[in-house]
Amino acid sequence: MTTTSGVSRRRLITGTAAATGAAALAGCAPDYRDDLGPGDIIAVRVGRVPVDDPDSGTWGGAPEKTVELAPQQIALPHRETPVVPAIRVRALHDGRVIGFRMEWDDPDVDDMTVRVDDFRDACAVLLAPGAGDETVRTMGTALTAATLLHWKADWQRDLDHGRAGLATAYPNRSVDVYPPLIDEPPGEVAMADYEDAGAGEWLPGTHVDNPMSLATRATPVEKIVANGFSTSTTTPTQDATGRGVRHGDGWRVVIAKPLTARDDGETDLRNGSDATCAFAIWSGADGDAGGRKSPSATVYRLVMDT
Amino acid sequence: MVDVENWQLNRTMAYPYAEARPRRQAAAVFDTNKCIGCQTCTMACKTCWTSGQGQEYELWNNVETKPWGSYPLAWDARELELLGPQHWEGDTYTGQTIFEAAPSGERNVGFMPQGLDYAYPNRGEDEVNVTLSVKRYHLRLPHDMWFFYLPRICNHCTYPACLQGCPRQSIYKRPEDGIVLVDQERCRGYRVCLEACPYKKIFYNHTTRVSEKCVMCFPAVEQGIQPRCMRNCIGKIRSFGFVGTPDSARVDNPIDFLVHVRKVALPLYPQFGLEPNVYYIPPIHVADDGFLTMLFGPGARAAIDAYQAAMVGDDPELLAALLLAVSTDRIIHRFEVVGDTVTAWAEDGEEVVRMPIVVPTVERTAFDPDLNVYRYNIT
Repeated sequence: MTTTSGVSRRRLITGTAAATGAAALAGCAPDYRDDLGPGDIIAVRVGRVPVDDPDSGTWGGAPEKTVELAPQQIALPHRETPVVPAIRVRALHDGRVIGFRMEWDDPDVDDMTVRVDDFRDACAVLLAPGAGDETVRTMGTALTAATLLHWKADWQRDLDHGRAGLATAYPNRSVDVYPPLIDEPPGEVAMADYEDAGAGEWLPGTHVDNPMSLATRATPVEKIVANGFSTSTTTPTQDATGRGVRHGDGWRVVIAKPLTARDDGETDLRNGSDATCAFAIWSGADGDAGGRKSPSATVYRLVMDT
Repeated sequence: MVDVENWQLNRTMAYPYAEARPRRQAAAVFDTNKCIGCQTCTMACKTCWTSGQGQEYELWNNVETKPWGSYPLAWDARELELLGPQHWEGDTYTGQTIFEAAPSGERNVGFMPQGLDYAYPNRGEDEVNVTLSVKRYHLRLPHDMWFFYLPRICNHCTYPACLQGCPRQSIYKRPEDGIVLVDQERCRGYRVCLEACPYKKIFYNHTTRVSEKCVMCFPAVEQGIQPRCMRNCIGKIRSFGFVGTPDSARVDNPIDFLVHVRKVALPLYPQFGLEPNVYYIPPIHVADDGFLTMLFGPGARAAIDAYQAAMVGDDPELLAALLLAVSTDRIIHRFEVVGDTVTAWAEDGEEVVRMPIVVPTVERTAFDPDLNVYRYNIT
C-alpha cells in the first residue's frame, strides 16, 4: 500500500514526521534503522521512483544528505578545490529501480559541447559492492569494479531540444559544400545523411558508435563500469535513466538504474544488501572534464530500505 | 615521471612514461626554402580527411607565414611565454621542457585554445618581420626584411604531449611506425590533449564531440606510399621516410642523412621536449639567428651553411638527397649517388628513382640570327 506520494507504509509507520505530507518530510526524515550513521545514505522504498521528474514530491520522502565535496588530487590533471563545498542527495528505490536526486548550485548553464571551449555540467553516482568500501572511491579498483552513472547536461539538452550542432553554436556560419554530400545544401546536412550516403567515415566518432558522437540518444545518463582511473568503459547495455532540470541557480538531477545488473562488473542491488555509493559533479564553466571534477569527500554506505 | 633520452636536447628529460621507441619512426623533412605557401598540401589533406561536418576548422596540415602567422592564434608565442626562459649550452638544452615545467596538478605546461583562436588561419600571411620603409633597399642575403612559410602537420612525436596528457589513454603511438593516433571509440572529448599539445595539432570535432588529429595517411604508409600532403607538394619541399636515432642512423637513408649525417634538417621547437619527427631545413634568408635558434635549436646556422654549400655544388650527396623530395609516390628507404646520378629504392628493393643530380643545360647565343631576335632565355 502506498500513499499518494508513493512512500511505503513502513516509511509512514516509522517516520517521525508522518502525517504531515511529503513536502514537510524533506530534511526531516525518520530513522529507518537503528544503526544508520552519518556515513550512510538510505534508499527509501516507494511505489515508483520518479526517474524522469526531479521535482516530484516523492523525493521529499527520502532524507536529504549533505554530501561534502573534495579536491581531486590523485590523477592528473587535478582539480585543487571543489567548485562547491557540498551537494544535496536523496535516494529512493521501488524494488526494481534505484534513483538518486542530486542538487547543487551552479549559476552557469553549460549544456553544449559543440565549440572547442564548451565544457558540460555533469554529475555522477558511483555504485560498488561492500558497505561503504573506501577503496573504490577512485572509480573502483583492479579487483572491484565500480558502476558509474553519469548524467550530462549536453545530452539532456539534446533530448529536450534536439541535438545541438553547428547551427546552434554558429548560427551565422557559411559552408561552401560538404564533399561527400555534394548534392545537398550544406546548411541542411544532417548527421544521418552521412550514413545514408555511405559516407559515415566522414563522421569518424559517430561511425564507430562512440557514445559521445551518437546522432540520437535515448537517455541523458551513461552507464559506465570502471576498475580504477583511466579505465571507465561504456557498458553494452544502456539502461540507466534520469533527467536534469534547472532549479533556481543550480541543477536538480535524477539518476536511476535498474537494481538488476545486466553488464559485467555492474553493481547488482537486487538482494537488498548494503552497497557503496559516492558522487561527483563537473562544472563546465570551470573547464571540468574527466578527472577535473569535484568528487564527494568520502564514500557512503548505501542502505536499501525494505 | 621517469628519465628518458631525448637526443634533440642532448640529455635525458622527465616524461610520464618510460622510453618506448617504435620499431621505426615515420618522419618528414620540410625544406622551408622551397615552400611557396600554395597550400596544396593543406587542400590535399583537407579534401581527404577533414571535409566532414564538424571538421571545418580542422587543418591537420596548414602553412603559416613566420614570424607573424600562427594557427591556432599565437599557438607558439603563448606556449613559449608559458614555458619561460629557454637556454642552450652548446648542443645541450639546459632549460626546462613542457613536462619538467609542469605546474602543480598538471602534467605539462599548456593552454586551452578558445573557439576564436581557430578563426584566423591566414593571420600574418606574407607579412615581413619589420615594417616596410620607403627608404631604398638593396637586396642581400640574409635579408633584413624577411618572412618564410612554415608548413605544419602533427609531428608524431617520440614523446607526445597529447598522449601523456590523455587521462583515458585514448591516444596511442603505433609500435610499427611511430604514428600517433586518437582511438575514435575511446576518446570522450575531454580535450586535455588540445591543452597538452604545444603544437596545437589536435582538433575538436564540433559534430562528433571528440578529438581528431593527423593520421599521417597510415593506410598509405602501410602500403609503402607517402602521405597525401607529401605526394601533392608542388614545391617539392617534402621528403618522407623513417628516421632513426643518432646512434642508429643509416647514411644511405635519405631522412637519416638529412637529419643525422648532414644535420641540415632540424626539429621545430625542440625545447618543448617532445622529440618531434618533422624536421625543417631553416630558411637561408633570415638574418635573425636568435629567431632561428628559438624555432629550430642551436644547429640552425650550421644547417644553413651546409645547405648553401650543397646548392653551390660542394656537397653532391646532400644535393642528391634533397632532390629526392617528391620524386616518387613510394617511400624511399635507401639512396646512392654514383657519379652524377642518384638512385633510390623502396623497402622491397625496387628501384623507384634514378635521375641526374644536375640537369644538363645548353647555353644558346643571346641573338638568334635565323629569327633576327634576341632571346630572353638562353639556357
